[in-house]
Amino acid sequence: MKDPSCSPHEITQLLAEWSDGNQSAVDKLYPLVYDELHKMAQRYMNRERQGHTLQTTALINEAYVRLVDQKHVHWQNRAHFFAISAQIMRRILIDHARRHDYAKRGGGAQKISLDEVAIVAVERASGLLLLDEALNRLGEIDPRRSQVVELRYFGGLNNEEIAGVLKISENTVTRDWNMARAWLYQELRETVA
Amino acid sequence: MKPERWQQISGIFKSALALEPEQRGAYVAAECGDDESLRREVELLIKSHQLADDKNFINSPAVAEVASLLIVEDGEAEVSKDRLDNGQQLSHYRIIKKLGAGGMGEVYLAEDTRLDRTVALKILPADVASDKRRMQRFKQEAKLASSLNQPNILTIFEFGDTESLHFISSEYVDGATLRERLSNSSIKLLEIIDISAQVVAALDAAHEAKIVHRDIKPENVMVRRRDGVVKVLDFGLAKLTERNTGLSVGRSDSEVNTELLLRTVPGTVMGTVSYMSPEQAQGLDVDERTDLWSTGVLIYELVAGCVPFSGVTRSHTIVDILEKEPAPLPNLGARTVPAELQRIVSKALAKRPDERYQTAKDMLIDLRNLRKRLELDVEMGRSASPESIAPIATTGNDAIRGTGSIEAGTSTAQDTESATGSRRRVFAGIAVMLVLAAGLIVALNWSRFRSSNAEHPAPPLATVAERQLTYWMTVQKYRNGRPFEEPFRLAGEINFEKDYRVRINVRSPQSGYLYILNEGPPTAGGLPSFVILFPSTTTNGGLSRLAENQRIEIPEQSWFTFDAEKGTEKLWLVFSASAESELEAVKQFANAKDQGLIKDAGLNTRVQEFLRAHSGTKATIEKDDEQTSVRIPGTVLVQAIKLEHH
Repeated sequence: MKDPSCSPHEITQLLAEWSDGNQSAVDKLYPLVYDELHKMAQRYMNRERQGHTLQTTALINEAYVRLVDQKHVHWQNRAHFFAISAQIMRRILIDHARRHDYAKRGGGAQKISLDEVAIVAVERASGLLLLDEALNRLGEIDPRRSQVVELRYFGGLNNEEIAGVLKISENTVTRDWNMARAWLYQELRETVA
Repeated sequence: MKPERWQQISGIFKSALALEPEQRGAYVAAECGDDESLRREVELLIKSHQLADDKNFINSPAVAEVASLLIVEDGEAEVSKDRLDNGQQLSHYRIIKKLGAGGMGEVYLAEDTRLDRTVALKILPADVASDKRRMQRFKQEAKLASSLNQPNILTIFEFGDTESLHFISSEYVDGATLRERLSNSSIKLLEIIDISAQVVAALDAAHEAKIVHRDIKPENVMVRRRDGVVKVLDFGLAKLTERNTGLSVGRSDSEVNTELLLRTVPGTVMGTVSYMSPEQAQGLDVDERTDLWSTGVLIYELVAGCVPFSGVTRSHTIVDILEKEPAPLPNLGARTVPAELQRIVSKALAKRPDERYQTAKDMLIDLRNLRKRLELDVEMGRSASPESIAPIATTGNDAIRGTGSIEAGTSTAQDTESATGSRRRVFAGIAVMLVLAAGLIVALNWSRFRSSNAEHPAPPLATVAERQLTYWMTVQKYRNGRPFEEPFRLAGEINFEKDYRVRINVRSPQSGYLYILNEGPPTAGGLPSFVILFPSTTTNGGLSRLAENQRIEIPEQSWFTFDAEKGTEKLWLVFSASAESELEAVKQFANAKDQGLIKDAGLNTRVQEFLRAHSGTKATIEKDDEQTSVRIPGTVLVQAIKLEHH
């Protein structure tokens, strides 16, 4: 694992490059942020810090502060950082869920009900995996709405932050969210029916 | 879906949501005109929107919701994330290794450096342990259950905490959980019944003390490798974790009705519903009878290999639990499930608590009777010779015998051999009269069992107060301070060399309280010194109580050595139906410092008097190549073994 103390500059630089439209910067950025977030998430989840409830944004914020050199970064970079962090959190959680799900049922298939997916708010690993797949399908039809869900559900961002990241109005974020969530709910209902 | 279609749908959806709910229908209908499918799609989405809202679907961030999942997952999968390292010190415990991670935190094998014994340490998740009120209730109940000294209830030694950790130290059980056993191989019928009886015996004791376990399932039952003794784990733990897990009573809307259970307890991802009683699944108040239901599910699973109620989803499972009659226990392979076992399971699984077994005791009696009868079936099916019946008749009483590997209904004479072979030899010399009488009782009971439609099970065989104990010794020769040759087994007394070392092994078909003392040569004051060898802190959780057929080996971790002086030492075996206060008092010296030596002169005298008072009874002693069996009428058996050495 990278020593965080020597990466702020690198990460700040990569964020800047990405903001300037250099997509390959994302590929380099991703593993660095992944490492940091994964490590932090695990620390939180192991509850070494008693009394803390896990807040994604707090987590990402902390990672941001640790990883990014604040003096030399433009505010848009923060939005980019959040966007990529949401994506990474999604990956982390899905990886965990997949392993967990596999372990739990020995790799065998098992049906689950809509209520488990929906009501229980995806507490179950398989529910989370189904949601992830549905979100991918939504991404094919409507990338922006899919991204709204990613930022909010996996990244823990609020509507204002999402509006900032996606450069759309807050109202649009709300409307996108409503549509996407209803569609996902229905999609899951059909998947498990 | 075509992008234009998607745009169309989302446009109407968006505008409809901006309206009051009651105006939406008309608006959508107007917008969609005669495009039926468009209207249906939009309406569905609006319905979904409302449901998603009601159910808080993905409203809070994923991390918060799956955090518990990750905790457990990390604990299980990544060794590097272990909380404690091997060799690490925690309070006065030294971690030896991690044993596993259950729903409720990690479990480690550890050494109690104060009392010099191995223990199991369970680390409680911080968030669970931080709820003081729950923790208090849990401790109370767990302590109470443990203090019952019931051999099938895991003994808890201590609740401890450090700055950051809460832990429970308990006796260490070297064995497997029933879940592990189930996943490895099928368990023989007689062992299933034996295990079940031991579980119910634990419940019986707990229920007497008004403790309901609430979470009987294969994960919470361990079978000790060495002797098949069953330990029920986690009494009281349900108090710590239980939440409003049930259905909301009286809500019939199916959408709401399935809003179940899955308020996952921290760290216990997907706590199973399969073992929940109907009242538990409904979130109603539960009492002792919920445990009997869960035990019924457990027995069912042990026999059938699957749980009786299992839907494709948890909601379906719940509905099955509430409504469905389970399929009859299947006959697997050559194994025929006895009608009586079916009856016991069905009775445990009565939907209404009132129609279930009312007490664990009732269920225990049925299980014990069934076990005896199955043994008889095997015995009688195999041979009508009196010898084969005799052991059963003489060991009868309420003894449940150890985990013999007898499979009922099949010809498994070989299987039986290991379980009853030695006993058969022991009792082969019993008088014909006794055999005939016993045979008669046996036959009588057996025929009653055969007509098993009887409402009530046959009462247990008539009992005469009698104690019996079997012992043998393991001897290790020593030459020049080193072990010499393999240890050998000895049924009785020989003239020992002074540097021989011995262990004594004790077992009884009966449960009871065992004390083993070593009488050394007289001390300066004139009285012989007494040393308590059992109970000891290193064996049996420090307890004197033995379960039926539990084997005790003394000393467990080291050998007994003779005094350097030539002479006679005595080992006193005391096996009583009840706890003996004089001897229980001796336990205070069973520690590393005193080495078991009774340093209280008064107590020393009382112990001696006790032994003298009880050793006059005429015993029936039977000895063969492998062991010595002692029987006495009465409730206290005292036997001295002389160890002469030169």
